[in-house]
Amino acid sequence: MGGAERNARKRRQGQTGATPAARNAVAAARGAKTDRNKIIIGVLVVLVIAGAVIGGVVYTNNKKNATVGQTIPVHQVSLAVPVVREDAAVVVGKDTAKVTVDVYEDFLCPVCASFEDRYGPQLDQQLEAGTVKVRYHLVNMLATRSDPEGYSTDSANAALLAADEGKFLAFHKSLFAEQPEEGARGWTKDQLVDLGRAVGATSPAFADGVRTGKYDQLITEAYQKASTTDYLLQDLGDGRKAFGTPTIAANGTALDISDPKWLDNLIAAPQG
Amino acid sequence: MLDWVGTLLRLGLAAVWLVSGWIKVSDPNQTFIAVQAYDLLPGALVSVVAAAMPFLELALGLLLLVGLGTRLTAVLSGLVLLAFIGAVAQSWARGLSIDCGCFGGGGQVAAGDTRYPQELARDIGFLAMAVWLAVRPRTRFSVDSRFTGTS
Repeated sequence: MGGAERNARKRRQGQTGATPAARNAVAAARGAKTDRNKIIIGVLVVLVIAGAVIGGVVYTNNKKNATVGQTIPVHQVSLAVPVVREDAAVVVGKDTAKVTVDVYEDFLCPVCASFEDRYGPQLDQQLEAGTVKVRYHLVNMLATRSDPEGYSTDSANAALLAADEGKFLAFHKSLFAEQPEEGARGWTKDQLVDLGRAVGATSPAFADGVRTGKYDQLITEAYQKASTTDYLLQDLGDGRKAFGTPTIAANGTALDISDPKWLDNLIAAPQG
Repeated sequence: MLDWVGTLLRLGLAAVWLVSGWIKVSDPNQTFIAVQAYDLLPGALVSVVAAAMPFLELALGLLLLVGLGTRLTAVLSGLVLLAFIGAVAQSWARGLSIDCGCFGGGGQVAAGDTRYPQELARDIGFLAMAVWLAVRPRTRFSVDSRFTGTS
């Protein structure tokens, strides 16, 4: 008989030799230990998840609130042309201009900021020369795309109020040059009021108008109208059309601004 | 043998959560836009959900990776996946044109660019992995097995 076999037999004997009561006690002890382990594991899982979620929300909110406490830097515009607000639009340019360009923009729209960056100087030149007028339509299409929502509307409203004060150009340029990110916190009403003050819109009417949302309704209505105006819609390619920003139009036709010479072509075209 | 299948599924689902969570954590603004596009929650809640979800995914991924509380984690994963499936399905049913933002991206897309069937199939596949682990959580190389002393 080998040693291993003898040990195995001893174990079997030991098992059969134990009383039923003893066996139950062992099983119960093992069960209690398993239960305790399950509870420990459960608590650990809950702690890991709760920690991650709470820590994550705090971290993300800190990261997204980059615009808190800042002052919107001012970008001046040295352009001496008339600026008149017409409902939710702002008409800029001299009366001699034969061409009027309609520009539909949202202050939160990144492509609008690129448009301003790329074609703003050209437009300014033509405004100065008196060949072109620009009618800026400030729409709040992306009103839900800031966190908290509403930056599109607040900024458009503030820009219209700045136009009432004759300070639209610098205000408009500054907001596009210092555009907050989509999905993040925008500039607050207070920061917009401060920007207005910095560009010379110092009247209480401006600050009150920004805070109460004086033109919000007007802006929303104008956006609704634009988004249902057929010639302003962009073809999505499958028979459906949708309004988007920026949309540039003149004489009741949307212009293709992917052509870098769109403005020259428009000025050169015979005006009817 | 089945332990090995379970191990593969556990690590696979862990990778899914870690990758999708990491992509979302890296771009919180995009995540906000993705959650917002489902048009399900009021603004303030969108913000909280968009901030919490990526980290929930990372936590689930981490727990699965080390194999701690595999059954509970698998059940929670399944619930989260069911919520995702429900959210995508309702967007499809309502005719929204959005990208699910499951692995980054998200938000409105052109009407012809939606991929609802693929997105749902993928999520249902992940759900099946979670169900296996919830039913049969025993796997190799897990913290759980140290606790229970099995395998």
